Amino acid sequence: MSIQKILLEFEPKLENLLRVLKEINKQEKYISESDCLKVAGYFSLPLARVFSLASFFDLMNTRPVKKKIIRVCSGGPCTMKRSFEIIRQIEMLLKIEMGNDSHPKVKLETMSCLGLCDQGPVMMIDEQVFEKVRPETVDDIILDYL
Amino acid sequence: MEIVTKNWEKINPLDINTYIRSGGYEALRKVIRETPLKVVSEIKRSGLRGRGGGGFPTGEKWEITAKIEADEKFIICNLDESEPGVYKDRIIAEKNPHQIIEGLLIGAYAIGAKRAFIYINGHYKKPAEILKIALEQAREKEFVGRGIMGSSIDVEIEIFSGAGAYICGEENALINSIEGKRGEPRLKPPHPPVSGLFGKPTIVNNAETLANVPYIIKRGADVYSKIGPSLSPGTKLFLLEGAVKNKGIFEVPLGTTAEDLIFNSLYGGGMEDGKEFWFAQIGGASGRLMPRGKLDQLLIYGPSEYPIGAGSILVVDKMADIKDLLFSWADFFHRESCGKCVPCREGTYRLWEIAKWLKNNDLKERDRENIEDILWTLSNTTFCPLGNFAAVAWSDAISMFSEEIFGK
Repeated sequence: MSIQKILLEFEPKLENLLRVLKEINKQEKYISESDCLKVAGYFSLPLARVFSLASFFDLMNTRPVKKKIIRVCSGGPCTMKRSFEIIRQIEMLLKIEMGNDSHPKVKLETMSCLGLCDQGPVMMIDEQVFEKVRPETVDDIILDYL
Repeated sequence: MEIVTKNWEKINPLDINTYIRSGGYEALRKVIRETPLKVVSEIKRSGLRGRGGGGFPTGEKWEITAKIEADEKFIICNLDESEPGVYKDRIIAEKNPHQIIEGLLIGAYAIGAKRAFIYINGHYKKPAEILKIALEQAREKEFVGRGIMGSSIDVEIEIFSGAGAYICGEENALINSIEGKRGEPRLKPPHPPVSGLFGKPTIVNNAETLANVPYIIKRGADVYSKIGPSLSPGTKLFLLEGAVKNKGIFEVPLGTTAEDLIFNSLYGGGMEDGKEFWFAQIGGASGRLMPRGKLDQLLIYGPSEYPIGAGSILVVDKMADIKDLLFSWADFFHRESCGKCVPCREGTYRLWEIAKWLKNNDLKERDRENIEDILWTLSNTTFCPLGNFAAVAWSDAISMFSEEIFGK
């Protein structure tokens, strides 16, 4: 769907700005500067205002995502359920370091709470959520999905 | 004692009739025959306090907005919870969404709002879907929309989904993000009940707070105010996580002790086999650390040595690695700092850096000396409470477990 088509689904009211950006991110996987320019025109807002919103939130990207992103929850409850052992296991398996950008295809990050503490430890690969991950089984999940 | 969790087993969240059969929407029916100010005073007399963490008396908040003349007012249900260890609002929305919707409608009527929002965490896809279906059914039954229940009252409810930012649980940041601005806190005053969304009087209430409202209306403020201590009445959903035997959600009257909650076989049931209690963190990543000797403290809203926040209790045993936990706290706040003020943006970053070195056993003496400076700056100079929160658990850990952290 083109940006124009997305825009036409929403009235140019301020409360729709975040909704529009989320929709663009969903369709295009990221929000480019030229997308922001079109959105800014439609809402009659400065480009900076639109871009500052797009760049603020975790669930939106302002650059194309070229790598698989593995995220492991580092919240207290998941930490108590050995999420740091899971991180070490992934680091060893893929020979990468958490937070480091050097691997061409994968990036490993920690993430904030998804509110699934009762199902922890929680891990995400791109959009896919994995619950009750164990250090012993994480290798299989990673190798399956990469 | 069950108020919020009552009937969870009997109700099908996808079928409004099961909620109506269990007495649902009776409170709304009762309310629209009364004057809004009477509803406000009933909630005020009940002593209900906000369940999101602040513990501000809900009735007093409503009263401010109800008494203001304005062409437009808003009420927002805050379902953005993203504090590590807190998932009670998600479970309420998944088990009994109409309880939240009914509370929100009552609130809207009481303050005179024609538009209401449910601001839901962007990660909560399933609960958002359930709420959407629940709203459609409530609209069909004429509980939501124009002329609710045949009266002349209009209340529209919209779901607004966030995009993944902890700070948006703070009411001003939440309002900013609905207005299409970065989720940064605003200077107070004016507080939202006076000037909030689009500059109009706005009430922001936590989902659990609103879920208590139908009960209070139905059974009366007098019944509710007698549950638990008089300054902080009612029940609260607590979340037990960590090295405790029974994990999950437990509804208990406020004023229960942490000891009871963790060790009573009705709730936590004690420690996991072979594990020894070390401390409990009360109130999520921003919570204080409670040692064994303080377990007899009452869990209440209001003045308390250990604020209960949104009700999460993380039980930590002696085998746990304190450095992992220190990293976990610093990691969370450094990622979630919105970047508006320098002390928080830089302070949480430096603390995170130190936590990383500490975890890798690579901490220099000069970094260690800086910890206290950073913690003081976070506690005293940040723009909004997020910065203060970032220092709470760290300060407690440094003063209580310096030997475990830095060695002898």
